[in-house]
Amino acid sequence: MDRQQEFVLRTIEERDVRFVRLWFTDVVGSLKSVALAPAEVEGAFEEGLGFDGSSIEGLARVFESDMLAQPDPSTFQILPWRGDKEQTSRMFCDILTPDGQPSSADPRGVLKRTLAKAADMGFTCYTHPEIEFYLLKSDELGPDGQPVPVDQAGYFDHVPGGVAQDFRRTAVAMLESVGISVEFSHHEAGPGQNEIDLRYADALQTADNIMTFRTVIKEVALTQNSYATFMPKPFSDHPGSGMHTHFSLFEGDTNAFFEAGAEFQLSKTARQFIAGILRHAPEFTAVTNQFVNSYKRLWGGGEAPSYLSWGHNNRSALVRVPLYKPNKGQSARIEYRGIDSATNPYLAYSVLLGAGLKGIEEGYDLPPGAEDDVWSLTAAERRAMGHDPLPASLHDAVRAMEDSELVAEILGEQVYENFLRNKRAEWHDYRIQVTPYELRRNLGIL
Amino acid sequence: MSLNRELISRGFTDLDKSSRFLAAAELRDIPEDRLFAGLSHAANPDLALQSLVRLLAVQPEIGSLVQDDDGDPEALFRLLGASEALAEFLMRHPEHSDVVKVRTTAEPGRVDAGLLRTSLLQSVGADAGQPNPVAAVTGEEAYRALRTRYRRHLTELAIRDLSAASPTDFLPSVGQELADLAAAALEAALAVARKELEGTFPADEIAAVRLAVIGMGKCGAGELNYISDVDVIYVIEAEGLGEDTAVRIGTALAAGISRAVMSSGREPGLWEVDANLRPEGKDGPLVRTLDSHLSYYARWAQTWEFQALLKARPIAGDADLGARYAGAVSALVWTSSEREGFVESVQAMRRRVTENIPSHEVNRQLKLGAGGLRDVEFTVQLLQLVHGKVDDTLRTRATTSAIAALKTAGYIGRRDAEEFDRSYRFLRVLEHRIQLVQMRRTHLMPEDEASLKALAKSSGSSLLVTRPTAASLTEQWQQTKRQVRRLHESIFYRPLLNAAANLSADEVRLTPEAARARLAALGYVDPRGALRHIEALTTGISRRSALQRQLLPVLLDWLADGVDPDAGLLGFRRLSESLGETHWYLGMLRDSKAAAERLCHVLSSSRFITDLLEVSPESTKWLGSDKELLPLPFEVQWQEIQSKMSRHPAPKEAIRLIRLIRRREILRIAIADSSGLLRQEDVGPALADADRAAVLGALNVAEAEVYAGEQALTDVVVIAMGRQGGREITYGSDADVMYVHRPREGADPAAAQTQAERIVGQLRQLLQQPCTPPILAERVLEVDADLRPEGKQGPMVRSLESFREYYRRWSLVWESQALLRALPMAGNDKLAGEFLQLIDPLRYERNVTETDLREIRRLKARMESERLPRGADPSRHLKLGRGGLSDVEWLVQLLQLQHAREIPALRTTSTLEAMDAVEEHGLLPADDVATLRASWRLVSRIRAANTVWGGKQSDVVPSSRRDLEAVARWCGYGAGQGTQLEEDYLRLTRRSRAIFERYFYGYGD
Repeated sequence: MDRQQEFVLRTIEERDVRFVRLWFTDVVGSLKSVALAPAEVEGAFEEGLGFDGSSIEGLARVFESDMLAQPDPSTFQILPWRGDKEQTSRMFCDILTPDGQPSSADPRGVLKRTLAKAADMGFTCYTHPEIEFYLLKSDELGPDGQPVPVDQAGYFDHVPGGVAQDFRRTAVAMLESVGISVEFSHHEAGPGQNEIDLRYADALQTADNIMTFRTVIKEVALTQNSYATFMPKPFSDHPGSGMHTHFSLFEGDTNAFFEAGAEFQLSKTARQFIAGILRHAPEFTAVTNQFVNSYKRLWGGGEAPSYLSWGHNNRSALVRVPLYKPNKGQSARIEYRGIDSATNPYLAYSVLLGAGLKGIEEGYDLPPGAEDDVWSLTAAERRAMGHDPLPASLHDAVRAMEDSELVAEILGEQVYENFLRNKRAEWHDYRIQVTPYELRRNLGIL
Repeated sequence: MSLNRELISRGFTDLDKSSRFLAAAELRDIPEDRLFAGLSHAANPDLALQSLVRLLAVQPEIGSLVQDDDGDPEALFRLLGASEALAEFLMRHPEHSDVVKVRTTAEPGRVDAGLLRTSLLQSVGADAGQPNPVAAVTGEEAYRALRTRYRRHLTELAIRDLSAASPTDFLPSVGQELADLAAAALEAALAVARKELEGTFPADEIAAVRLAVIGMGKCGAGELNYISDVDVIYVIEAEGLGEDTAVRIGTALAAGISRAVMSSGREPGLWEVDANLRPEGKDGPLVRTLDSHLSYYARWAQTWEFQALLKARPIAGDADLGARYAGAVSALVWTSSEREGFVESVQAMRRRVTENIPSHEVNRQLKLGAGGLRDVEFTVQLLQLVHGKVDDTLRTRATTSAIAALKTAGYIGRRDAEEFDRSYRFLRVLEHRIQLVQMRRTHLMPEDEASLKALAKSSGSSLLVTRPTAASLTEQWQQTKRQVRRLHESIFYRPLLNAAANLSADEVRLTPEAARARLAALGYVDPRGALRHIEALTTGISRRSALQRQLLPVLLDWLADGVDPDAGLLGFRRLSESLGETHWYLGMLRDSKAAAERLCHVLSSSRFITDLLEVSPESTKWLGSDKELLPLPFEVQWQEIQSKMSRHPAPKEAIRLIRLIRRREILRIAIADSSGLLRQEDVGPALADADRAAVLGALNVAEAEVYAGEQALTDVVVIAMGRQGGREITYGSDADVMYVHRPREGADPAAAQTQAERIVGQLRQLLQQPCTPPILAERVLEVDADLRPEGKQGPMVRSLESFREYYRRWSLVWESQALLRALPMAGNDKLAGEFLQLIDPLRYERNVTETDLREIRRLKARMESERLPRGADPSRHLKLGRGGLSDVEWLVQLLQLQHAREIPALRTTSTLEAMDAVEEHGLLPADDVATLRASWRLVSRIRAANTVWGGKQSDVVPSSRRDLEAVARWCGYGAGQGTQLEEDYLRLTRRSRAIFERYFYGYGD
């Protein structure tokens, strides 16, 4: 037993924890949870907890259904929304095959593998997500068939006595109490839309944090009789919920993206990293934007980046190089604006990081940055400048991913196949729907 | 004699330079004969001469040693000839050159540890009588004094070592004295550190902190090298002081020790003081209290950390505290073999012996690699850990003393122990001598002739007058390496035999518990069962058991390398029992190690081969000869069958012999395949030959049987189809066939048809029905004629005319496709030739229309949805799955149909040959063909591996890890690569499926 495991057992004892939830993630990023009694935790550390993987989306093949969940003690947390009595806690798990090997089908394992590859190249990767979501009165639709937001405020609006403000205060406090540092929180552009920015952390921890974040936000909303949704685009007329993420690579204590005196202080490594992301973005969009609904956000206007472009502080670009003070080389970073809030963070960070590393490995050249507002260009202008569009639908994205050797390599053949299978099925289900739009538009006249 | 010849005869190598040095002014007073006499003691006379001249320049007084009649320069020359670094020390400090004014002795003694301690403490003005000595000086002055004194003692030791008549005998003393000297230096450094802390902390607080330095690794074991990191752990204790303060002071003391020993300065630092073996390694606090250490070890430490503690010994600082530490941790060391992960950590240790040697160093490594120093240390430590739990006489630190203890307690045979000890000492002496030259941490044998010669001289006895050659040293070293490898097996495994078999009393005997512990540590899952097998194999007085006693230790090791050692050992036992005293078996055990190794390999990795060997043990003979393992050509098999048929006319008897020949040949091919004697593309044809010989034999027997009672009305030909026709079958494949007959002149067609049907029916029965006595472990050859015209509804056999008529009326594209694989297998050659003439236009000259193309695509698509077994995962089905055999073959066959008319090279039944032609004629891009070929080959290989490993045919990539591991090994992957195989398989087949879809279905056109 190692030190962290010991710490967990002691905390369980001292804090009178009654339940330990083991968390892991299926291939589309849904959180899965099994509860253990404290007495079972030690065994789970030693041998892992057996479960039937075949019932989890994309985790195992039917004939190999025995899997082990091995808790990672460094992720142990008391869950505060259960109150002080009979406390509940959680740990994230790695998924293992019955003989104790890391399962190739575990999304968390995919990210670990990608980070190990980065480490082999001498890099550690830090990320910092800005997560948007809508706060609704409930998960039921209003009389007009639309979701009902809790307020009608806009970007940075202060809403006196507003639900959202209370909500953010409680949520931030709760996030802090589970060890997730919040950088920033404010009201976003849409009614009831909020944004909370997490402090930067290494990519695996950030992904764990995002999973926890979603749970915390939903729990807090429930306590306030409202409902939080991370759906990419719940309203046709209001902006979607993105999860812009800032990436930086460090070599030891040095920020590998920073080079004093270079254009935008961007090092060659940073330029190659961006080039890798831009070249491969169409191939991995199915991962970063994984639902039918995701493409309503990407193509529905409202600041969503839909074309391959990068720019220095250009909010219309897919990859943005933020401004920072010249003497703060350590904060050099790039922001990818394509991801939406409903992505599987383990896989999304894996493909982004993997594409960036590919750019570094192969020494890709970065095309010139976009200085204009990419949205205001004409289609011909965009084509002339090489700003190709991202896939227009889940179907296009899946087709692009099917042709991607890089994504197959990053995800591993099993996750790659499972993911594609799931997404093909989703597209198939969607395609047979008759939507209110069609009825409204066609029924009366045809 | 010219000067050059003189120099050569005296062992010089660098003649130019040495001639110049001989003329140096410093040597003018020294008579040449005395100089040469002295240099004869020097391991490297060139080096000794140069150092002497340079030393005389700073210390002329030393010359009297050489020139005076009563001077004895032996020590001087031995030192200068073996160590440039120590010569430089004397040049830096001429005042210490008196150390060479000693009379050498061939049987030197060791300097007492206490004396060294006192001397080093005195060098910094500390009183060795005090419990916590404090130096009188600090800073650079103290460091210089301490280091100079250390190097003086080191030089004295080197002189004694170099003068020893038997350096290997003296070796343990050298290691011990080096460790004592390092300990003394640490002690003096601690005294300096205490002094340096004055002013930073109150004097009473410094005094209250007791600090013990625990030596780890080679220093702890008392077998240190001349130059090496010194591994330590610091323990502190302070009564009446807060733990914080105590830790602060302790940390400052530890840092002070490092500074005194290794900071840079005018007198260079001695060696790295490395405290990384401490709890939590680099991240942990530098010093801890005893309680803190113990609670760490009780709760958090990993298995390997206990193994490291095996060497822990208090070497400096507070003796009482150190002794309490040592007492407390020793209990933990000796129960570590019960800890979880012990076997894994042993395997990791074992891997560390051989892995990560840069390729250019492999042939020069003394320490790493098979037969190196670490190999010895691993063997010794493993045995200590396995048996030390119950036997405390093994609880000793140094390697040499551990070997002695293992011998005395009977865990290693006496002779083995002695040889092992000798080898180890020899390797260590080489290491010492190599390091001594420059005082550099190296474990590589020198490459240049001059250094090798010097090494040969310095590592040999001081009494030796002649200079050994470099070649003799290299040879001795190679021999030692081989010896260590050999001993490794007999040391691990031989005592197991005695445990199992109660051999004579004077041999080593393990208790059953000890034997089981050892087997489990080496990877046997069922040690009890294994011991029973060992017992059965080795008891008795037969020659066989005597030989097996000899050989079994190494067999057990080879078996342990396989995926299933337990099954391998069981298989070996069964074989041995059925072979009994057969003379060639005994001969093989006695003379052919390669054969025995091959045998162990197949037994522990193939159920298929083990099953067959068990029922035909005489085939074991082939293992000794690559020639015997070459597949027999078809003609040779056919000759043998003919002669059997002529001597055994009764059909039942004849067919039994024919089928036995087939079983034998399949076994031969499997063994050759597993021994790497066959290329993958040769396996299919070899298996197809065995099937063909059997079918031809059966046809002859059937004809003879039918014609016996009536007039022969017709001739029958068997046409191979499918993979059988392509000669690309694997172990246990069916034979897809069609039957053609032609009535003889004047025969009634209807009667001829009936007769042909009877012959064919008989043929099938002969091949498939059980024989008496039964043919054990036979893979019955299933003949399947479903590809015939009209399939299951059509007649089993047709006349050539009927085929002609059928093909004239019906010309389905799938039949053209199937005929691409048609290859005559058995029967009348002329008829076979005419059949080919009939079908060649159908398969090679078909005009593939749009309708044909649509039809063939639709058929394939339907097959994909219908033929795959229910619930099977398409991405793991080898034959019908995504990018599997069927995808590649259908694509190739479509190209054959479309292009064979203009490209004759496509007219082949072989998929691989057709793919070559496809590539050569640019029908597909070369990259795509490469992917298809790689995927087809890997998939074929995995199918074969499934059968060979598990003994059953399976068309699915295994999902159990162990099966995957075994299959991966058969496919040429290294140990532990099962997941990699799976990933490679999924990737290759995905790519080949994409290519297939693009060109076969026309997706993306």
